[in-house]
Amino acid sequence: MTVLRTRLDTSSPAYLENLAAMQELWDEVAAELASVPTVGGQRYVDRHRRRGKLLVRERIEALVDPYTPFLELSPLAAWGTEDPVGAGTVVGIGVVEGTEVLISGSDMTYRGGSANPTTVAKGARMAEIARANRLPLITLNESAGAELPRQADIFVPGGASFKNLTQLSKLGIPTITVGFGPATAGGAYTPGMSDYTVFVKERATAYLGGPPLVKMAIDEEVDEESLGGAEMHSRTSGLSDHLAVDELDAIRIARDIVKHLRWSKLGPGPTEPADAPRYDPAELLGCASADVRIPFEVREILARLVDGSRFEEFKPLYGDKMVCGWASICGFPVGIIANNGILFSEESNKGAQFIQLCNKAHTPLLFVQNITGFMVGSKAEQGGIIRNGAKLINAVSNSEVPHLVLMVGASYGAGNYGMSGRAYDPRFVFSWPNHRIAVMGPKQLAGVMDIIARNAAAGRGQEIDEEALNAQTSALEHLVEEQSTALYATGRLWDDGIIHPADSRTVLGMALSATHGNEVRGATEYGVWRH
Amino acid sequence: MIRRLLIANRGEIAVRIAGTAHRLGIETVGVYSDPDADALHVDSVDLAVGLGGSTPATSYLRVDAVLSAAIDTGCDAVHPGYGFLAENADFARQVIAAGLRWVGPTPEQIELLGDKVAAKRAALEAGVPTTEIIEITGTDVPGGVPMPALVKAAAGGGGRGMRVVRSEAELADAVAAASREAESAFGDGTVFIEPYLEHGRHVEVQIIGDAHGYVVHLGERECSIQRRNQKVLEEAPSAGIDDATRRTLCEGALALARHVGYQNAGTVEFLVGADGTITFLEVNTRLQVEHPVTEAVTGVDLVELQLRVAAGEPLPFTQDEVTFSGHAIEVRVVAEDPSAGWLPSTGTLTRFDIGAGVRVDRGFRAGSVVSGDYDSLLAKVVSHAPTRSEAAWVLARALRSSAIVGVRSDVDCLAAILGEPDFLDARTPTSYLTDHPAVEQAVGPEGDDRIAQFMGAVLVDEAAARAEDEHLGFAPSGWRNLWTHGQRSIWIDRGDGSEVPVEVRPSGDGFDVRVGPWPAPTEDGSLAPDDRAIHRVRRLAHRGDELAVEVDGVRRRLEVGDDGSVVHVSGPAGCTTWTRAPRFADHDAAAAGGGPVAPLPGSVLSVHVSPGDQVTDGQLLVVVEAMKMEHQITAAAAGTVTEVRVAAGDRVDTGDLLVLLDTSAADD
Repeated sequence: MTVLRTRLDTSSPAYLENLAAMQELWDEVAAELASVPTVGGQRYVDRHRRRGKLLVRERIEALVDPYTPFLELSPLAAWGTEDPVGAGTVVGIGVVEGTEVLISGSDMTYRGGSANPTTVAKGARMAEIARANRLPLITLNESAGAELPRQADIFVPGGASFKNLTQLSKLGIPTITVGFGPATAGGAYTPGMSDYTVFVKERATAYLGGPPLVKMAIDEEVDEESLGGAEMHSRTSGLSDHLAVDELDAIRIARDIVKHLRWSKLGPGPTEPADAPRYDPAELLGCASADVRIPFEVREILARLVDGSRFEEFKPLYGDKMVCGWASICGFPVGIIANNGILFSEESNKGAQFIQLCNKAHTPLLFVQNITGFMVGSKAEQGGIIRNGAKLINAVSNSEVPHLVLMVGASYGAGNYGMSGRAYDPRFVFSWPNHRIAVMGPKQLAGVMDIIARNAAAGRGQEIDEEALNAQTSALEHLVEEQSTALYATGRLWDDGIIHPADSRTVLGMALSATHGNEVRGATEYGVWRH
Repeated sequence: MIRRLLIANRGEIAVRIAGTAHRLGIETVGVYSDPDADALHVDSVDLAVGLGGSTPATSYLRVDAVLSAAIDTGCDAVHPGYGFLAENADFARQVIAAGLRWVGPTPEQIELLGDKVAAKRAALEAGVPTTEIIEITGTDVPGGVPMPALVKAAAGGGGRGMRVVRSEAELADAVAAASREAESAFGDGTVFIEPYLEHGRHVEVQIIGDAHGYVVHLGERECSIQRRNQKVLEEAPSAGIDDATRRTLCEGALALARHVGYQNAGTVEFLVGADGTITFLEVNTRLQVEHPVTEAVTGVDLVELQLRVAAGEPLPFTQDEVTFSGHAIEVRVVAEDPSAGWLPSTGTLTRFDIGAGVRVDRGFRAGSVVSGDYDSLLAKVVSHAPTRSEAAWVLARALRSSAIVGVRSDVDCLAAILGEPDFLDARTPTSYLTDHPAVEQAVGPEGDDRIAQFMGAVLVDEAAARAEDEHLGFAPSGWRNLWTHGQRSIWIDRGDGSEVPVEVRPSGDGFDVRVGPWPAPTEDGSLAPDDRAIHRVRRLAHRGDELAVEVDGVRRRLEVGDDGSVVHVSGPAGCTTWTRAPRFADHDAAAAGGGPVAPLPGSVLSVHVSPGDQVTDGQLLVVVEAMKMEHQITAAAAGTVTEVRVAAGDRVDTGDLLVLLDTSAADD
């Protein structure tokens, strides 16, 4: 198979300057990540520890197999919103007793582990990941329930979390809940809807109404332990399957449960050699432009991403702004579709054909997005760019092999859709820190608005207040700029996390392995092709 | 000439005898007990005969079976080795009566010299330098015995039936006790009293005589370093006596040999007091365990000489032709734990490698089972060099480079002795080990060497864990996109039983490793400051069991064996053994109540409690007899006996739970 060769001079001033700019972007992300475990405040972290409890991530460290990787998903969810960064929960893929599982846990140090609207959205995403990839789900539960002042944005959509649990169970995807603390009201259905439950003695509780509510409602005076304590649920109500002596004992029991599942994945295992790329993946940090307006060669990224830098390119001479080809990542075969900027008709047709080929070969697809949009203009329109773009979107929409998306630069316009953007249900989306996403570039968007404003004024025969319009255009450009950053996108769960570019192989390898939990089978039918 | 030799022994001595026999063109026949059917000594002979049984009494001590083995396989001679039937005059007599050659002294000489009182009389008659002895008849204890004195059994050896007496008041009790012990051990309760030489040295002379009345000595050996009157380290020549004493001892030994017309190899043992007083101890009418040091300094093969003399050949050299060169030291590698009072250790040897540059007489190999039924000697390691200190260094290095896995051994202790200043200055009275308890606690490598070996254990565990990751094995070790802490594990250093917590965080092409307890929450919930040093560790080469570990810029070669529960690390600095503590506590076991376990395989002699009994801390629960010693098993805490799992006569294995104790009431 052809091996990609680099033309990148990693000692050139241009590379080094870009590398420094990328490092700065990453440092900003890293600082946000570092702040997440104590987002609840050091005071509450200390109080939690004082009570002899482990922090949620410490529980996960104890749960997973030694030295195995753990990929936390959407760690910066809710960034830039009124909800806490991370949304007060941890979701991630790890290995327990040799089994890849999805693990979620609530962070008791932020407002008692209560759910906010982003918690609900992150939970919905988690359930979707478990379902699509057939990942057993372990919930480390400890939550005061919904953040009541935000109930309007939580109550109605939040109900899906319990439906999701039982639907996973129906699909044969095991669900395990370990109670470390309270599970109150609706939250009590988290253990209630799970296949397996473990309650920590003298810590876990579950009841629909707490002692004050019981007193209010039926005038019964009852203590917390008899109402919904771990002993009661283990010995009397039967909600708890296992009574654990302490937190670590509960984790031990959860591991034993996973062990007895004898879980096997439905997809094929890795079939290709998983040798490292010829070129150092550490150089990925400098491969994409920190400023996405500066074009870069996406093959330089592929050369540092795929096994042995081997890449069998499809139609290299046709539609060359889209790079398609076969490769493998960590031994998993993939078809890769990567952009070198804009999409023309040729690129759209090439992509549509390649997606169909990968579906015929039951090969997962990796979309490496660096796209400024579909071409505009009379020549493009006359050449059928809508019709050809529609073919690409038809193919992407109806493709049934797993899709992974790696955002390495811009994702502007309908190109996002054609390249399996979030709305097209890719299994996973990961972004680099330089990623920008919007309906179009901020400058273009502001420029378009400027022209529209001028045309409108001209139509009304009004004078243009240049100063006011410039200020308005500039403000709009800034707003869109802010709303198209990687952090803004990840805060809104438009991806599953911002990753360090040098970690891309590991993250994509883990994501690919996760997708192979389910069958990998291509589509046989599509929508009507507009030829 | 001997054509086919029966070797009536096992272990290293059987292997060693077969080696010389084969070199001389002699065919060999071995014998084996049931558990020894695939032992090294059986593979070292041309053919072997099963004796059945699994204890000495039911196998190697069976005169009839061993004799039949020799006759049935057409042997024309029997070499008894040492121990077992080597000093059994009756067996020697039967061998000779069956028309076979006996490789050893005559039955009459064995009988005469086997009685220590008779031997002492013979020594006095021959003019051998020695102190007087007081014979005891019946239970009459004589008065006016100079103190300190030693009460000894006339029969047997190995320290049994022996008592040191420091005041006359203790004498009667000591005589009675020694007599009882001798009666039970040897079937003969005769004891005698001799002066006890404080800070004496054990020096013995090798003699060999032919059937033509010619006897030579091959110099002396010093074997003062002993535990429980059993030799640990032997050397030739003795560094603690002057030439005049040396001459006196050697000539005395020759005089005694000539006096009794001694044939074949034997050893005349003396004790030399700090003041130069010499006392004759006994004659061992056989090849000694420690004969290789004599072979090293004289260049003779003692087994060859034994075979030639037994075949009737004259000694091939005269006394004047015997020359001595350099210094030789032998250590006994035994399956015992010096740090636990030389407690015998049993199990399967998964590795058994001894370092280079030394002679190794071994009876075991990797895969051999070390049982409690036979002697604990695994191998003898012998160095020979121009000077004593060089011999010590060569031997110490070989021991440190050894890898003995599966049972505990004394190699760390032996290596520590060889580097200990008093030993190097030849200050080695028989009380050496009592005077230097630190060497018995030696745990092998220390400081950076120990840390590096620990890193070896941790990195091999890490590599094994990664190899086990069937799905995400491609990912970097312990990879995280949001760090909480590194990979934490707790290890037990089997050298001293201490717990060693370690935290490993992959970084670049290696690991940042912190050793010591990780920060724990303080009273207010905040974490204690992290004062652990960070070691920069890289795994440079890892192929099979071989590993190179770089710790803070220093690279070391190591071999690391992981048998699933125990990780054994060895390198030029010595060996360490580690166990990864379970990640999770076993609360079920705790709820069931802990209890004492058998310290080693053996049989239950007596049970002293019943279910429901209240016991106090330290109260005797069970007595287990193992390796000829009675082990008292006591309660580790006060509590109630909930279950007794054994009865008198039961066989138990190491770790078997004997009694279940509920100590919770005491806790409350």
